[in-house]
Amino acid sequence: MQDFFELAVGAAASGCVYGLIGLAYLLIIRPTGIINFAVGEWAMLAAFGGYVTLTKYEWPYPVGMAVVLGLMFVVGWATERVVVRRLVEGGAPLLAPILALLGMLVVFRESISVTFPPDPHPVPDAFGIGRLELGPIGGTYQSFFTIVTALGVFIGAWLFFERTVAGKAFEAVALNRRAAALMGIDLTRVTALSFGAGAVVAGLGGLLVAPNISAHYLMGVPLAIQGFTALVIGGVGRVAGPLLGGLLLALAEQLTVRYAPVPAGYAQGVPLVLLMVFLLLRPTGLLKAKV
Amino acid sequence: MKLVAMLAAALIAVAAQAQDTIKIGVITDRVGVSKPYSEPATEGMVFGANEINKKGGVLGRRLELLVEDDQSKPDVSAALARKLIDQGAVFILSVSLSPATQQQQTVTMEAKTPQMTPMNSADYLTTQLDNPYFWQTGPLGSVQIATLLAHAKKQNLKRVALITDNSDLGQAIGKAFRGGLEKAAMQVVDEEVVPLGATSATPQMQKIRAANPDAMFVAGVVTATNVLIFKAYRELGLKFPIHASYNLSVPIYMTAAKGLVNGITFVDAYDPDKPEVKAFEATYRKETGKEPANLHGYGYDGIMLVAEAIKKAGSTDKEKIRAAMQSLTYGGVMGAKGMKYHFPEGKRTGFDPNGMVVRVYEGDRQGRVVHVGQQ
Repeated sequence: MQDFFELAVGAAASGCVYGLIGLAYLLIIRPTGIINFAVGEWAMLAAFGGYVTLTKYEWPYPVGMAVVLGLMFVVGWATERVVVRRLVEGGAPLLAPILALLGMLVVFRESISVTFPPDPHPVPDAFGIGRLELGPIGGTYQSFFTIVTALGVFIGAWLFFERTVAGKAFEAVALNRRAAALMGIDLTRVTALSFGAGAVVAGLGGLLVAPNISAHYLMGVPLAIQGFTALVIGGVGRVAGPLLGGLLLALAEQLTVRYAPVPAGYAQGVPLVLLMVFLLLRPTGLLKAKV
Repeated sequence: MKLVAMLAAALIAVAAQAQDTIKIGVITDRVGVSKPYSEPATEGMVFGANEINKKGGVLGRRLELLVEDDQSKPDVSAALARKLIDQGAVFILSVSLSPATQQQQTVTMEAKTPQMTPMNSADYLTTQLDNPYFWQTGPLGSVQIATLLAHAKKQNLKRVALITDNSDLGQAIGKAFRGGLEKAAMQVVDEEVVPLGATSATPQMQKIRAANPDAMFVAGVVTATNVLIFKAYRELGLKFPIHASYNLSVPIYMTAAKGLVNGITFVDAYDPDKPEVKAFEATYRKETGKEPANLHGYGYDGIMLVAEAIKKAGSTDKEKIRAAMQSLTYGGVMGAKGMKYHFPEGKRTGFDPNGMVVRVYEGDRQGRVVHVGQQ
């Protein structure tokens, strides 16, 4: 049983990271309909930001984190401004920005690949390496920090959409772009903000997971797949969807490895099976959108 | 008119100088999966060529490296081999991925151009194609495992766990480890795989903890995944010893896995106490201002072997170079103290099977040699 609790904390932390990447997708999909697979590369960029500010220059963690997330907002905003906006304004079909962003995925990855040596780059834990025991539940400081931070972000996102006028504007755009525009909502601003916020959230996911997996130029795509799977499982309709999906995905991944009587190596197929099952049987995900 | 004559003279001089070089083709990987290994090996090669040229070159001619990037793609690699031969390369050095080196052989065999990999470890490179123009001086995968197991045998291990990643090479080395462990009468009580892109290795390490092994063998070759494994090992407070593959000899672990690697034994082809290594490291540091590692040594030995072969051949005739290479004996930077590369009885693998060493991490530093060879 001790194994289970030990695993649950680590899996919850992984699930929260998947959830954050899923939320980054969601923040962009809802007002624009654009699936941005470059979110994984945003996480990678932030992880390298963490390496530069926290490891190389040894800035205090909160300062480094704030600077990196601030820069991520600029990266997200600039991506929308340079790559997406002219396509959308030019009346290009929805597939065009999705493909352009796939191109950006390569641009981001190769920019890092030529700037940094190819090895993994260490990023420190927020509170150093250590364990926290809460009764039968035990986990690393970083796992608990990841869980608390991610929950804070999801609560913040929920409050934003439910309790603020700006959030309502996002919701309105998500419900009907043309009607929202007719109501005086600035679509361009909402789209730019959604990309900026998406980059911040994905970047936070990258910063939180980097102490475990190190900053590496190939780390983006697996995170993008895990985040997308979390989003499909949880559903695009509600803010809590990717979090729920991420937690379920991480638990399925790790509990299968630990307890399922399948040969080593086969357990990694479980998340893909989950993804296929949800796409076939419940493509809207677990949580349905509010009517 | 005078100016034109001077320019013409200068151009003729440059052309003569260019003609006067001995061209060596280098196929490396600058952006693909082999980049972490290929780049330092190429740097070592460039350093070696500069050193040779400073001393007057080979046969009175400068060595000129024609470096091409194949991105570890075998088809691209074969085309590049052809390009290098067309450009006049008399020898090709391959420091990309093993499958890419294999594809290059289809060209070098047909074009009868000497080719060598000073770094690749795949056993099949000299067994699948009977190419008399190809040599391999990187330590074979089978030699790595045999050396690691020879050291492990001394520890009297009976029950062991095996963990690897799901990369092609990680799976291949894992399979070879399993075979070697079983042959050495050690029971593999648990075998785990950590997939690339995983964010935790805790469940795998919990399973290994439950199996209660005497030791754990790490066959993985992906650094980020291995770091994840060591992190879970430390977090769970595990104590059984770790014996790791050749991947742990890559110096990045000293920074990427800070605080996680103390006490881990790993197989290497580099002995820091060897006089040749000390001399190489001192000169490299002085000339480049950078810290060399074992991977630089592979490239350095590679270009030195080629230079020796051309010197011995006394000519840049490819057939003479081939014959000289086959009969060469050379002691370089890599390998245990006193090890010499040689190719007896027509063999084309030059690394002595007893030339590898087992080292141990002391703190975060790659430390002393604790075992040599397969005995």
